[in-house]
Amino acid sequence: MDKNVQEERFIEVIKFTPPLYKQRYQFIKDLVGKYKPKKVADLGCADCTLLWMLKFCSCIEVLAGLDICENVMKEKMHRLYPLPGDYLQPAERSLTVTLHHGSVAHKDPCMLGFDLITCIELIEHLEESELEKFPEVVFGFMAPAMVVISTPNSEFNPLLPGVTPFRHPDHKFEWNRAEFQKWALNIARCYDYSVEFTGVGAPPTGMEDVGFCTQIGVFVRKYSQTSETALSEKPTKAAYKTVFKAVYPSLKDEKYLQIAVVSEVVFTAQVIKRSLMDHLNSEHEEYTDGPVEIKSKFQHSKNCVSEDLENLTVEKCMEPYVSGNVVYIPLTKIFSFPKVNQLCGTFEKLCKLITGKITLSSDGSAMVIDTKQKNEEEEN
Amino acid sequence: ALQVQQPLPSQQSGHVQPQQPCLLPLLSAGELAGRGRQRGPPGASKPEEFQISAGFQEMSLGDRGGRRRDFHDLGVNTRQAIEHVRESKTGSSGIMIRLSTNYFRLTSRPQWALYQYHVDYNPQMEARRLRSALLFQHEELIGRTHAFDGTILFLPKKLGNKVTEVFSRTRSGEDVKITITLTNELPPTSPTCLQFYNIIFRRLLKIMNLQQIGRNYYNPSDPISIPNHRLMVWPGFTTSILQYEKSIMLCTDVSHKVLRSETVLDFMYNLYNQVEEQRFRDICTKELIGLIVLTKYNNKTYRVDDIDWDANPKCTFKKADGSEISYIDYYKMQYNQDITDLNQPVLVSQPRRRRGSLMPGPAVLIPELCYLTGLTEKMRNDFNMMKDLSVHTRLTPEQRQREVGRLIDYIQKDDSVQRELRDWGLSFDSNLLSFTGRVVQSEKIHQAGRVFDYNPHFADWSKETRGAPLINAKPLDNWLLIYTRRNYDVANALLQNLFKVTPSMGIRMNKAIMIEVDDRTEAYLRVLQQNVTSDTNIVVCLLSSSRKDKYDAIKKYLCTDCPIPSQCVIARTLSKPQSIMAIATKIALQMNCKMGGELWSVEIPLKQLMVVGIDCYHDTVSGKRSIAGFVASLNQGMTRWFSRCVLQDRGQELVDGLKACLQTALRDWFKWNKYLPSRVMVYRDGVGDGQLKTLVNYEVPQLLDCLKSVGKDYNPRLSVIVVKKRVSTRFFAQSGGRPQNPPPGTVVDVEVTRPEWYDFFIVSQAVKSGSVAPTHYNVIYDSSGLKPDHVQRLTYKLCHMYYNWSGVIRVPAPCQYAHKLAFLVGQSIHREPNLSLSDRLYYL
Repeated sequence: MDKNVQEERFIEVIKFTPPLYKQRYQFIKDLVGKYKPKKVADLGCADCTLLWMLKFCSCIEVLAGLDICENVMKEKMHRLYPLPGDYLQPAERSLTVTLHHGSVAHKDPCMLGFDLITCIELIEHLEESELEKFPEVVFGFMAPAMVVISTPNSEFNPLLPGVTPFRHPDHKFEWNRAEFQKWALNIARCYDYSVEFTGVGAPPTGMEDVGFCTQIGVFVRKYSQTSETALSEKPTKAAYKTVFKAVYPSLKDEKYLQIAVVSEVVFTAQVIKRSLMDHLNSEHEEYTDGPVEIKSKFQHSKNCVSEDLENLTVEKCMEPYVSGNVVYIPLTKIFSFPKVNQLCGTFEKLCKLITGKITLSSDGSAMVIDTKQKNEEEEN
Repeated sequence: ALQVQQPLPSQQSGHVQPQQPCLLPLLSAGELAGRGRQRGPPGASKPEEFQISAGFQEMSLGDRGGRRRDFHDLGVNTRQAIEHVRESKTGSSGIMIRLSTNYFRLTSRPQWALYQYHVDYNPQMEARRLRSALLFQHEELIGRTHAFDGTILFLPKKLGNKVTEVFSRTRSGEDVKITITLTNELPPTSPTCLQFYNIIFRRLLKIMNLQQIGRNYYNPSDPISIPNHRLMVWPGFTTSILQYEKSIMLCTDVSHKVLRSETVLDFMYNLYNQVEEQRFRDICTKELIGLIVLTKYNNKTYRVDDIDWDANPKCTFKKADGSEISYIDYYKMQYNQDITDLNQPVLVSQPRRRRGSLMPGPAVLIPELCYLTGLTEKMRNDFNMMKDLSVHTRLTPEQRQREVGRLIDYIQKDDSVQRELRDWGLSFDSNLLSFTGRVVQSEKIHQAGRVFDYNPHFADWSKETRGAPLINAKPLDNWLLIYTRRNYDVANALLQNLFKVTPSMGIRMNKAIMIEVDDRTEAYLRVLQQNVTSDTNIVVCLLSSSRKDKYDAIKKYLCTDCPIPSQCVIARTLSKPQSIMAIATKIALQMNCKMGGELWSVEIPLKQLMVVGIDCYHDTVSGKRSIAGFVASLNQGMTRWFSRCVLQDRGQELVDGLKACLQTALRDWFKWNKYLPSRVMVYRDGVGDGQLKTLVNYEVPQLLDCLKSVGKDYNPRLSVIVVKKRVSTRFFAQSGGRPQNPPPGTVVDVEVTRPEWYDFFIVSQAVKSGSVAPTHYNVIYDSSGLKPDHVQRLTYKLCHMYYNWSGVIRVPAPCQYAHKLAFLVGQSIHREPNLSLSDRLYYL
């Protein structure tokens, strides 16, 4: 289904900028930006370009693609894998991308519970028998909150030289606006959806009568439906074959959350330690030229006193302190840093996640950092 | 007149290769418009980035660009030109040792062949996808297993006829005649097949869900996090399938990708808080240039070549369609990436040169959207960081063998991998390759009439020779010791300890002229200018920190303007009373070498032999200048060396400078010995993957020319040996039921060597932890007539001669000296040092 290439070949005289296929994808992206669906499926996803674009939309947690041709999906499906960067800083949201091989004329429970289902330039490729089953499968069975269907507007065809009879050899039909709208309104009535019509690829000036090059119907489900009822009411055998599945690393996964929290805590502690040490060192420079040990012993004794006071004031227990070669950084202080706070949410969660991963003081209230640096530099 | 004694090996001499396409594994797995390109030359916007998939489109034809370098130096057949090793290139001495290695045999069905077909369409079909679809309408003919890139079809089976014609119908009802013509029947060992295996193997790694970064594959779902340093380590594998001595094998080793869980912008913020504001840009540039960054939004890596401080994300660039767009809008639109800091500078990455096609414009990258990868020079020098890292990356032989075995296990267990292999009629051995190597005899250390043995297991004689007189001890009659007030005690402690350790070495020592300075670079320089005279033996500077600028200034002054040996010591290293004497001993030995003294020797049986070591340093900061160190022996015992370096400017051939070095080295040799060497043996380090051909075709003839130019009757024998430290090969000695590191002196010249080369491996050093890495030696030119055994033994002997380490090192001493010299010049001096120092190891 080389629809993009084919279309461009024909539309040489009328040139769309950006290209028409990009405008169609942008239309979907804008829709996603507006309605923030969590579960989105693309029927007839072909080489997965739309899915690839959608994976960057941070509201989406489930992305699915379906196509009748396995090879065309496989060709570029690697683009849907998580990137190294997704592992380095896992996102807050979870995301699972799945590709299925199958026909829109068949029902499969994996397509239930979606918020948005897109059928971009799909219906005109369907055989009559498939087109007949399509409404029941998509609107009756899948029944997502929103469906977007795009298809060529045949009224525009005279402006496209060389279109005989259709824009693409695999098209089984191309409808004018009246035909499409009649079909769509009928479906909407049948399955309790509302529908609005729009399009992309505006006609040239003076030819406004022909309408958009691509006509689009946006269907919105009128009744509300929880995903539980959707699943319980319609148990069906699987009809599709899963050809690809990628689960993106996410902070919702305890494993990645722990790595992120420990990493942020240790880094924050290092920053605190460094500024504390710089502070102490600058005190040396100012007041004494003596060896470091004396000063830190002094610091130690002073801190013994403050340790006793710790329980009395909250203010005090936020402050990091040095004792001998060890820096103590209260977890409350670390928790007050915005990034740590944001990752953990609660102080208890912080404590739970760092248990066993970070050295803590005997009472578990502070992080312990050894300041002794084992330097073994070679002389030159 | 001098005759070149043997024909120079040409590119493909005598080996007729069938005409074949070049299979190019494509590595970029990203998006066409993945980065904001600056205005490039017209035509550069043509889609040229390909995507890989787990599908078959990984293959492409040579005419698509030929941009992949041949990292394995295939087709450089040097051995056949070296007559005396055509029959056998193996040595004989030493005791046998049972070894295994990280290689697995690739086996194919008996009578296996890969069938290559050319596929034509009539009428002509353009789209590759369409071509595929039309062809595979005939799957019953072609079969399920195939690799097709649109023109060339590979099948594991032979079709009934040489030319097969079939008809397909397009969706529009057009009939297309497809002609499938057999063009080649490739035996398992043909180079095309080798590339084919590598492509198939990459496909397998993809099936196993490993992520490709650069040339290797990593498993990102089990990262090792090192939060102290914001590092992330991904375990992975490096793999290659090649024709080795007797069979085609997969060589695989554990590889660790060090990534940083911070963006370039995070790094900049962090640095900004740590340095003075006016020095920030300068330091930041130095830290970042040359680093590889990974973009957030696609799987691409770029080298940072410059930072454009005048630009910011609000700047615009011209897209392929001619429209202007700002970086913010572009990344928002294309990848939904928000740029929060609108004042950050941008990174500039020059595309690597591509032959054939036009150079695309430089890529502009946003720091906030790039992750750092790898380690900076500063990080490498951070002992604590490297220690924390090595806990995870340094694997014992046992761990390494287990990890490597795991990859093979995956392969054997994964059904889809097995099916793919079976369909192609290929399989991998499930066991590591094992064979017999040799451990050559350990050397005796000669030092001023005394002979020392050392424990061959540790390959170190610092204890044995401690306090023994040196071959040639230089007196410290007149020397300076410069220190800051704070380090007064340390300076005295050093002096006292030097007084303790030098007498037994035979070093005569007067009290140093002690000079106190302020802890500023200018103060040090002023003191040097005022106090260094032509009688000064050496200058010792005690530095209070490892700040590089002070060190650089001192070295620069004392290597160029005022050529006197110098020794810098960081005060902290002398702070521990229990180790100060050992350190003073090391310093005394190093100072002696810098003044032209000699420490020890091993027996070198060959007479009139000059050994040369060459290594390169690539200066990434100041204009990407390369620096080659050149070191040549001056005497029989290999205890005195001539050292020079070549600063190669852009567009200049390195070899021109090397010729000049060789000429002066020969002149100096003559001055010392009153005759010229009859043999010259060049150990060439610093040769990158894929550069061997250039070396063979250009550098060797130039060296020969240079020798010829010395004199009409001068006709020395020349050997050129390429030294490679970075190899994936690892050997395991199977003793006591557990895999161990092979002992120092292990030589391997069978099985894992390449049939077209005169090459061997030596494990010369001992390591305290982790797996030892063998060094690969490839003799690319040899008119010496020496037996392989002698070349191997001599090479091993030379690994004993590096004076900064009382033990055996990884490479022949002249290579390490050349490395040290090039590094000093590249890092600190940036100019050619004064030639009056060239007879001393002043750079140690």
